[in-house]
Amino acid sequence: MDTGMSEVSETRPAAAGTLRLNDEEQAMLRGDHGPAVQDAIRFQIEVGTFFGAERFVPITHAHVMGDIEVMGDGGLAHLRGMGEHGARCVVPTSNNAHCMHFHADPRLQQDADEEGKQREILGRYGRMRIAAVDTCIPYQTVYQPKFGEHVAWGDTGTVIYANSVLGARTNFEAGKASFAAALTGRTPAYGFHLDATRRGSIAVDLRARMEDLADWGALGKIVGHPHQDYFAVPVFEGFDRMPLSDELKQLGASLASYGSMAMFHMVGVTPEARTRDEAFGGRDPVAQINVDDSAIEAVYQSYGYKDGGATIVVFSGPQLSLFEMQDLAERFEGRRVAEGMACVVTTNAMVHSDAERLGYVATLEAAGVTILQGVCFYILQRLTQIREENGWTNLVSNSGKLVNTITAHRFNTVLRRTQDCVDIACTGALR
Amino acid sequence: MRGVIHVARAWGPAVEGVALVMREGFSPRYDLDRLTGVISRMGHSCEGETVRDRILVIPTTKGGVAGGWAFHDLLHKGIAPAALVFGKLNPVMVQGAVLARLPVTEGWEPDALDVLPSGVRVRVDPAARTITVLD
Repeated sequence: MDTGMSEVSETRPAAAGTLRLNDEEQAMLRGDHGPAVQDAIRFQIEVGTFFGAERFVPITHAHVMGDIEVMGDGGLAHLRGMGEHGARCVVPTSNNAHCMHFHADPRLQQDADEEGKQREILGRYGRMRIAAVDTCIPYQTVYQPKFGEHVAWGDTGTVIYANSVLGARTNFEAGKASFAAALTGRTPAYGFHLDATRRGSIAVDLRARMEDLADWGALGKIVGHPHQDYFAVPVFEGFDRMPLSDELKQLGASLASYGSMAMFHMVGVTPEARTRDEAFGGRDPVAQINVDDSAIEAVYQSYGYKDGGATIVVFSGPQLSLFEMQDLAERFEGRRVAEGMACVVTTNAMVHSDAERLGYVATLEAAGVTILQGVCFYILQRLTQIREENGWTNLVSNSGKLVNTITAHRFNTVLRRTQDCVDIACTGALR
Repeated sequence: MRGVIHVARAWGPAVEGVALVMREGFSPRYDLDRLTGVISRMGHSCEGETVRDRILVIPTTKGGVAGGWAFHDLLHKGIAPAALVFGKLNPVMVQGAVLARLPVTEGWEPDALDVLPSGVRVRVDPAARTITVLD
């Protein structure tokens, strides 16, 4: 079987690219810690050298992303190779939302053989010491790194939240990268591990009222879409109240999605932006953006419905927090999803467990809402076919991220505020 | 036309192939049907084009961590591009390219979008940090 991994080689000069290795790292590279660790650190050196990293930094936590829909059979073979080489995470490690919902809703059928492969992946995660929490909101439910703590997180929404809101330090660690970091307990020091990268570069004067979660996603689109740059760091100022975690989660997820951004500051809110000067760190902004209510409204106006198909309303991307579940339950209380409409919510098992105990799940399900656990809607396996089978043309969501990320599946997406989404689901009147 | 584009950072083996030049950002999750290798996002400048064996010329990245696995998956399915040539990239593209052993470059002088038409044959040489027009 081609696992894509090489066997242990004899000691050779540390071909460490631009990185200086300490004794332990040299031992890893020699193969003293086994072939899985050797393969991992080789990969990290190649990536780190591309970015000119000079050293590794120890990490305290890794968050891996990999499911059968995105890794495919080749990725599964690679994962099996890691397992056969004895891969075991040396730091606490969790996994991201994945593609298989394991739910009985007949409108959302997935492939049984792919489901079997996903169960194998989750089993392998357990043996590698990855806690399979299946969540893209670990920062709200699983692990909250402290200020200055280096981690290796493999989901963009988690990365931007960690860097911006918590003051922790991580790059996008995609695919093999977060697994490699979990196995070696370190990551190359480039990008957002370094002070210089974390300084603000875009000034955003935020004067809009920001009364709904969807407004924060719209804001992320306004700032991110015209400035697609991983190393751009927007600095928001002028906003007159303390945003909630869920609001900053929507903003971050949207910035990361539209702009591929990994960090923002909000003056007086986020920990590296106690003042405007601290946020910019002496750097002059390369752009100035002013956002008021009319700018937010223009985002909503930019979406339109397509005729000739059914519509699904989705609350997902990122998974909902407990308080988002509570809010939705209140909005759907006593109402019912309209005939011909569909409404789906995604969250993780931890939130779902409490939402069930607290009655939110019963309220939502009584209203005809389907609640999926452990997944995010846009990454569902077989999604294009699911869309076609249901005749879904339009997808309405309050997530700025979701209406951007799902487009390869040829949904016509529409961003609307949360109450509008609920009303559309319960009346079928598109607005 | 003939010409040389100098790149700022690069990794991987040298390859030759036909350029597919995009006018906007690209994400394998947002823009690509990963079962067929055809760009499927409605309105994308390369909608309907296959990425298979092409040298993708991409001004910026969008999103998203999917590229960390997706290029390796495309390789396994026999529909991978030949190389990734970016104006600006994020680490996902490098991590994904290294896993798939796919050449990847970042930064260009002159601007590849100005001098490279889609369909032109080019050589990507990461060691020399150059992209050379062959046609």
